[in-house]
Amino acid sequence: MGEPLLSVEHIYLNYHTPQGETHALEDLNFTVDKGEFVAVVGPSGCGKTTMLSLIMDLNPPSSGQVRFPLGPCPMGYMLQRDQLLPWRTVEKNALLGLEVQHRLTKESRERALALLQKYGLGDFLNHKPGQLSGGMRQKAALIRTLALSPELLLLDEPFSALDYQTRLSLADEVHTIIKEEGKTALLVTHDIGEAISMADRVLIFSRRPARVKRQVTFAFPKDMSPLDRRADPSFQEYFAEIWKELDR
Amino acid sequence: MIAVSQEHLQYLKRIARRRHAVSITRLLVLVVFFALWELGAALGWFDAFILSSPSRVLAAIGRLYTDGSLWIHVFTTLYETVMGFLLGTGLGVALAVLLWWLPFVNEVMDPYLVILNALPKIALGPVLIVWLGAGMSSIIVMAVLVSLVVTTVTVLGGFTAAEEEKRLLMRTLGASKAQTFIKVVLPAGVPHMMSALKISVGMSWVGVIVGEYLVSRAGLGYLIVYGGQVFKLDLVMAAVVILSVLAALMYGAVALLERKISP
Ligand SMILES: Nc1ncnc2c1ncn2[C@@H]1O[C@H](COP(=O)(O)OP(=O)(O)OP(=O)(O)O)[C@@H](O)[C@H]1O
Ligand SMILES: [Mg+2]
Repeated sequence: MGEPLLSVEHIYLNYHTPQGETHALEDLNFTVDKGEFVAVVGPSGCGKTTMLSLIMDLNPPSSGQVRFPLGPCPMGYMLQRDQLLPWRTVEKNALLGLEVQHRLTKESRERALALLQKYGLGDFLNHKPGQLSGGMRQKAALIRTLALSPELLLLDEPFSALDYQTRLSLADEVHTIIKEEGKTALLVTHDIGEAISMADRVLIFSRRPARVKRQVTFAFPKDMSPLDRRADPSFQEYFAEIWKELDR
Repeated sequence: MIAVSQEHLQYLKRIARRRHAVSITRLLVLVVFFALWELGAALGWFDAFILSSPSRVLAAIGRLYTDGSLWIHVFTTLYETVMGFLLGTGLGVALAVLLWWLPFVNEVMDPYLVILNALPKIALGPVLIVWLGAGMSSIIVMAVLVSLVVTTVTVLGGFTAAEEEKRLLMRTLGASKAQTFIKVVLPAGVPHMMSALKISVGMSWVGVIVGEYLVSRAGLGYLIVYGGQVFKLDLVMAAVVILSVLAALMYGAVALLERKISP
């Protein structure tokens, strides 16, 4: 399978505050292949968000390096809460990234509008975020990210603020969107079920400082939807396996 | 439109009636106030020479109008106040932007800003007169001083109210500091700026009237001081009444602006 898209190599990252030093990441190593969907689970506060912001280059490592062996890789980051700007319409929110990067052309705008249309926000272009449901807001935030045509999507617990019902259906939808748009994704989640139902592979992080304790590759048939995976007999086995590993 | 239930219609009627009642009572309060004032003066409950009366106030305004000085006084004060207000809020907002932009300077200035905010700027009046002379510029600077610091403090508070996470979002989108400011920090600060404007309107009036007390040959503050000195309390009351009307109008203009700007 050649070179990976992303390679995280011997990363150490320490936070410094007047109260002291926090070792957040310690000899973190993993790779993500092009087109792969990788989930990350780990105890609360172990350094998952830190790892994403490191890859996004918002936080420099203390040592080690993040490489993109296939060449420069445009990335999109999706935060836990949608962070839509309440004074902008859905359409203007979706175009925010393009605007900021001076890439708002007729084509890029039409692409973003097509995404909104295709994924069920077409009737809400001129609504303010406050008028949307939580699931729709999260979708609008995803489209804001996708509008920049990133190769790699970094998703930080994108569903955790939603109710269970919405979570399940949105996970299904987002999975479809990411596969259809042919993106590579790195998804941080607290929810083991979410990781198994959406990802090709899961990285289990240790307690802080975070290392990759183990990884599990899922052998579901290709093109199986997250909801179908949840109904698959092997789902429970994976669940038990990951649960046991996390608990240790 | 969706069919409206009987119950909802009743509800709408109820709130409309209440709004009506409030407006009418408001007007009534004003009428009763002036009526009692007039009546009290006429029946000798108090000395109309000291407390004046609505008819005496009207007569005083009439005299000012006929001798042509009414508009001079009104426009002098209005000009000083509007200038003081615009300069004060303009500089105040500019200073807030600067301090937001330079966190180090902001941290250095923080205690000074707190002291300046607490200091009664009016205390500087006599100094201003020495520096700038006994003229209109002293009065305007007084108004600027009074409204500037409070504007800076309030607006800066609004800027820092923009959530950390929204700024993080802008960083993930690759925004520059200027873009983050214009697209997130500034819009998020609009409500604070509006309340700063409202405070600063009132503050400008305070600054101008105090300035006019200290140095002036015209203006409503001048009329009040002059009227007090020569015991023409009708004139003092007339100036106060005009002042109330002007201040209310200017506040109304700002409130209108607020409704225009915020969604
Ligand atoms: N900016 C910072 N300064 C100092 N310490 C920080 C900072 N950000 C995070 N930390 C600390 O680093 C550790 C890892 O934080 P991080 O947010 O990466 O964890 P996480 O795995 O995303 O947690 P959660 O599951 O709660 O989202 C925590 O102990 C946290 O307190
Ligand atoms: Mg986190």
